[in-house]
Amino acid sequence: MTRLAMTRRGLALGAGAATLAGRAGAQAPAEVKVALLAPMSGPWARQGQLMKLGAEMAIDDINAGGGIKALGGAKMKLVIYDAGDSTEKAKNAAQRMVAQEPDIIGGTGAWLSSFTLAVTEVTERAEIPWLTLSYADSLTSRGFKYIFQCSPTADDQATKTLPIILDLAQRATGKKPLKLGLIADNTAAPQSFVKPIRATEAARHGLSIVVDETYTPPMSDATPLVQRVRGSRPDFLLFIATNIPDDKLFMEKLNEYGLGPGRLVTIGNGGHMATPELVHVTSPKILEGLMVTMANWAGKGQETLVRRFAERTKEPWMGQDSIMPYADMMILREGLERAGAADRRKVAEAIRGFDLKDTGPAQYFPSKRLSFDDRGRLRDATLITVQWKDGVPHPVDPPAIATATAFWPKS
Amino acid sequence: MRPGAFLRLRRDALIFAVLLACYVLLSGVVTNSYYQLMLTLVPIWAVMGLSWNLFSGYVGLTSFGHAVFFGLGAYTVALTMNAWNLTPWFGIPLGTVVGAIAAVLIGLPTFRLRGHYFALAMLAFPLVLLYVFQYLGYQEVSLPMKREQPWAWLQFTDPRGFTLVALGLLAMAFGISLAVENSRFGLTLMAIRQNELAAAAAGIDARRAKMAALVLSGAIAAAAGGLYACILLVVTPDAVFGMLTSAQALTVAMFGGVGTVWGPLIGAAVLIPLAETLHAELGNIIPGIQGVVYGLAIILVMLLAPEGLFWTLRDRFARGAVPPEPGPAPVLPTLTLRAPAAAGPVLRVENIGKSFGGLRAVDGVSFAVARGEILGIIGPNGAGKTTLFNLLNGVLPSDTGTAWLDGEVITGRPLHAICRAGVGRTFQVVRSFPRLSLLDNVLIGAYGAGLTGAAATRAAEVALARTGLAAQAQREAGALTNKELRLMELARAVAGQPHLLLLDETLAGLGREECEAVLSVLRELRAAGMTIVIIEHTMHAMLKLADRLVVIDRGRLLAEGAPRDVVENRAVIEAYLGRKWMAKTCST
Repeated sequence: MTRLAMTRRGLALGAGAATLAGRAGAQAPAEVKVALLAPMSGPWARQGQLMKLGAEMAIDDINAGGGIKALGGAKMKLVIYDAGDSTEKAKNAAQRMVAQEPDIIGGTGAWLSSFTLAVTEVTERAEIPWLTLSYADSLTSRGFKYIFQCSPTADDQATKTLPIILDLAQRATGKKPLKLGLIADNTAAPQSFVKPIRATEAARHGLSIVVDETYTPPMSDATPLVQRVRGSRPDFLLFIATNIPDDKLFMEKLNEYGLGPGRLVTIGNGGHMATPELVHVTSPKILEGLMVTMANWAGKGQETLVRRFAERTKEPWMGQDSIMPYADMMILREGLERAGAADRRKVAEAIRGFDLKDTGPAQYFPSKRLSFDDRGRLRDATLITVQWKDGVPHPVDPPAIATATAFWPKS
Repeated sequence: MRPGAFLRLRRDALIFAVLLACYVLLSGVVTNSYYQLMLTLVPIWAVMGLSWNLFSGYVGLTSFGHAVFFGLGAYTVALTMNAWNLTPWFGIPLGTVVGAIAAVLIGLPTFRLRGHYFALAMLAFPLVLLYVFQYLGYQEVSLPMKREQPWAWLQFTDPRGFTLVALGLLAMAFGISLAVENSRFGLTLMAIRQNELAAAAAGIDARRAKMAALVLSGAIAAAAGGLYACILLVVTPDAVFGMLTSAQALTVAMFGGVGTVWGPLIGAAVLIPLAETLHAELGNIIPGIQGVVYGLAIILVMLLAPEGLFWTLRDRFARGAVPPEPGPAPVLPTLTLRAPAAAGPVLRVENIGKSFGGLRAVDGVSFAVARGEILGIIGPNGAGKTTLFNLLNGVLPSDTGTAWLDGEVITGRPLHAICRAGVGRTFQVVRSFPRLSLLDNVLIGAYGAGLTGAAATRAAEVALARTGLAAQAQREAGALTNKELRLMELARAVAGQPHLLLLDETLAGLGREECEAVLSVLRELRAAGMTIVIIEHTMHAMLKLADRLVVIDRGRLLAEGAPRDVVENRAVIEAYLGRKWMAKTCST
């Protein structure tokens, strides 16, 4: 007991000393720490890996370009924390991050909305500016001041998804779909996505919901879900999951039942449904025609970025989960430059004051605009759609970033 | 309160206060917020361990499902804060009420089960609630952040605030545990843990006592859960109803020592910092390694200190006490008997019977026991003697027949009620409480009979004196010889001040001299006015002791009468004593 207490005190003193050192060097720090807190283990680990690739590339680009000029060329340093596979682990990681890195000035994470909800409860209290690609509306409806949501919210996506899909169907087939199927997992973002569709949006567009199922991820067997889909025969299906294992199980089962995207138009949501893994663990045929809506994609105009990314990471394309953290690091750099100090509160203040168009970090967003409202939501957040074709997802909407034309599979 | 409890209480409270003060000082110097969080978690899990110990440690029914109370406490705080804007300062007390109600609802069906079945049933409750809360859409409920007067919402900008609140809760839980451990109630629970049947035979209403313990335990666990929610910030079903939560409660208590207030404290103080430090230092390098090291540490301690650290350390360092010198032979104190001044037989049995399936274990037996008599019951193994006792004192319901105690019907009444009417009972196999002193062991009998306070202590001391154990009163029962254990069991029955004693093979396994000693104790008891019915195989002893013998064979009454007449009865010799006996008795 005594020895343990000693060790604890020793550690505490060590931490105190670190804080002092940080303060003394605040005039011209040699490096500024930013954080990536994302799932590096568990079912969401692949998303975390993709985020890491994007964030690391941004850090290298920033440091190669001379670091933070307003801080005398200070280098940016990325610290990575594993959010694990549960809300509790994510929050625990955030608490460790706050304790062990007293001088971080901002960060991004934690991919899954549920994790981000927990993580920002900690970062908000520590007043760390926190950027996130998570979708849930609840993230930015708690009155928090240090969170910046860089994606359209789930609510917003739900409202925007149906007109895009219906328009596409109309153009491709000349007929308007009438029956909608809904499958969603029970985590925060999918639930806040399906809620408005159930409540108002389906009715607004003259759609009747013929199947509506919720499951707890990770999925153990897709058969009962797919059987219900088959039994109710929707004209198109919204499948709102959050991880690749669930995507694989469900898409394979759909195909097994003869309901692949070639027969039944299926629309997914989120970066995980457009990762190279998904095609590796399934096949181009299974995914052919699958459409996925999400918050960002490196499309038209980002060719150089995508090529450099592919060269350094061997990843075939740069999707939402890599370009978003890349953009986040650029936002933090811009914030540091404007704040002129390695102070998290001043950086947050600078980010709140952003109103950028076509320049700086704004060029990494589909709307090419960067400005946050007082809740911390991105103004003009645009929903993008990609479609799988021959084993590769191509952005098909909005036209500003589209590299291919959408097609409505003919059954 | 138990005798000697006051000194023990004062000593334990003092040690606790000193430790608490040291802990507050330690918390004051820790500035790293993660290590401060760890300092907050230690008392919370210690409270959870105390809650588990209060029920499973004392009552002995292992609960794998204490997460159910923990989770309900946490969700009460989170949901009332969201829905009614209720501060956790009130939410936590409300949570304890919810926990207590849940304990009643869980106890009602579950107490029908014993042992592994009970443990498994308890396992199911948090798992069921986990899915219920998921279904209700409470996958994650965050506690709204309050910027104005955060302390009023149990939110602190300085994390030391949480540590202080957690310590406050720990002090309360420790106080309750200490009070229970030193009270009549605690002794009652320990009696149930040892042998529920024996406890009920000693007059304890086991069901009610178990329920009271579970309610208290559930309320404390819910309080821990409520406070945990405030630290968790986001409450999820997995975090509070998960298997790990129940396991954690069990682990800290088992590691530190079950059945003592210090156990959970030691367990939490060692295991929580160990797990969290491993997590902090290695979690990012090798995810999951902390679980492996943690598991190994637990296995090691379980191998080296199977009863938990507390008992092992105490056995090693604090077992200096030599049994005290026997004092001058005490004057036998007068025995108080709660016997009504009624005339007629003490016990009358008419046509009593019991079947197990096709087997007539007891088949229409009738006899009577006169006041102040020693009646011996003999018969071959499996004749139904113990079953007859079980029918008489309410362990088993009879199929047919009636028994009267002092003219009042006792068949059909519950075990503890018959005991309180003045029937004491011992069992074939001695059930002692090895960690308790002899006096505490005997006190259980007095408490069971409804005596309280000084009267109970007095009754226990008298019983010890009458059985010649007065000098050993402070020794642990685990250190007694077989004879002393038999006498202790007798003393426990006598402490209830019965006027009828049912003794089941009290002389079994005793040598001739030891046997003589016990016999003289029994004669003294009879001389003091007690009526005794004894089952015994040792015929020589029986011939010396009994006034009358009843012989039972295959559930039926075979013979009845004065010992000499009975042993010469040909049917009895055929059925029980055997031809050798005949040869021997004829030759002498």
